Amino acid sequence: MQDPRLRLFATVVLSVAAFASTAGALAALAWWLIFTPRTKALPRPGVFLGLVVMIAVTALVSEWGGGPGVSYLIRMVVVLLLAAWAYTETQEGEVLAVAVWALGDRIGFEIGLIAEMGLFGLTVIRQDIEQVRVALALKGIRIGARSIVPIAALLIVTQIRRADDLARLLVVRGYTLGGRICPVFETGSRDVLAALFAMIPGILCCPAVRDVFIVLQ
Amino acid sequence: MRVDLEDLLFSRGRFSLRGSGTFGEGVHLVSGPVGSGKSTLALLLAEILRPESGAVRRHGISSALLLLQFPEYHITCSTVAEEAGSWGLDPDELLVRADLAGRGDDDPFHLSRGELKRLILACMIMRNPDLLMLDEPFSSLDCAAKRRACSMIEERSEGITIIFSHERAVLPRVDALWEMEGGTLKALGRVPGAIPRWRHAPPYLTYALEQGARPENIRLQDAREALCRTQG
Repeated sequence: MQDPRLRLFATVVLSVAAFASTAGALAALAWWLIFTPRTKALPRPGVFLGLVVMIAVTALVSEWGGGPGVSYLIRMVVVLLLAAWAYTETQEGEVLAVAVWALGDRIGFEIGLIAEMGLFGLTVIRQDIEQVRVALALKGIRIGARSIVPIAALLIVTQIRRADDLARLLVVRGYTLGGRICPVFETGSRDVLAALFAMIPGILCCPAVRDVFIVLQ
Repeated sequence: MRVDLEDLLFSRGRFSLRGSGTFGEGVHLVSGPVGSGKSTLALLLAEILRPESGAVRRHGISSALLLLQFPEYHITCSTVAEEAGSWGLDPDELLVRADLAGRGDDDPFHLSRGELKRLILACMIMRNPDLLMLDEPFSSLDCAAKRRACSMIEERSEGITIIFSHERAVLPRVDALWEMEGGTLKALGRVPGAIPRWRHAPPYLTYALEQGARPENIRLQDAREALCRTQG
């Protein structure tokens, strides 16, 4: 999907639909299978499987306690797939462009800048984790429960330091509030089609529409 | 004790690294501009990355350590003394060596970048591995801290030490020179014979060579001494 506005729209609508009901999740999964590069848009298997395992454990506990564990597993895995796709497809500067397009040069620019910094932070954290793995291996320490605290401490401290550096840099460059950019978007016909189809699970998950189907049955 | 690089080839995206040669005992300097592949070569030599083809073969080496460019990554403990202990070292001895006496209870993250680099470098030198690889050990240090780091490296009397650096002002005494450019490793040979072939030589060495001097090594004082000998 080239147009980040439609990508954001599809991600939000499908995520809400997937989270709202199992049927919505299955419809969103069908959309994901048709309109995304599927496995090419996933993070590294280790990271993805780790997140799925975390969701599965929560689902198992929920099911064991009499809750809708299986439904939770399906819904959250679909939300995860959509998030991974949206993250992989997002290019640098796109979030800022969409925020300015939607909310203007003042609030939009602020929100977009914060979101861009957040996304950049995620990329940096991934690189940090790689470096920490190497450093731990040099000390003969294997990544496990014991190493979680030092790794988390390191990631938090380095992120705070980077945020501080970035804030100082913005001040030095005279940044106060808002800014002006002229976002340009390219919208392909497939983008429009995908966005229209994304609305189907979104409409189906609306309580009012669901009630109509129940009455018809 | 030696490390052989046998027709090493490593690719990532459009970047590819190639190299052959042997790192024997002594101090080796692998120089080259930023982005030339020095850190990637360090990771290959540390056997953290695997080459696409060719091999890194270690002979007679039982222990190896790599100093990462950013020393923060090495921290696993909440105090400087505990950090020393995590390397299996006596904290008191280490703190004296790293010029951090009385700072044992400090949080390692409260140390400056220079102090932290000195701490981790001291840890690695005191562990005395057969193969010690130092990725940009002088980056983000001031001149005094660079000189201190050089002294620590020069104190190491045995094993193989490989320094990967683009530093061109403060350097330690070395035994052999290598150059990385555009992902290709080139062996220049042993010092002092290799100095005239060194394309990334520091300005003071280039000046000394232009004046007809023949420095014995690559430090500023070597260039000065060679100039004094030439000019009387």
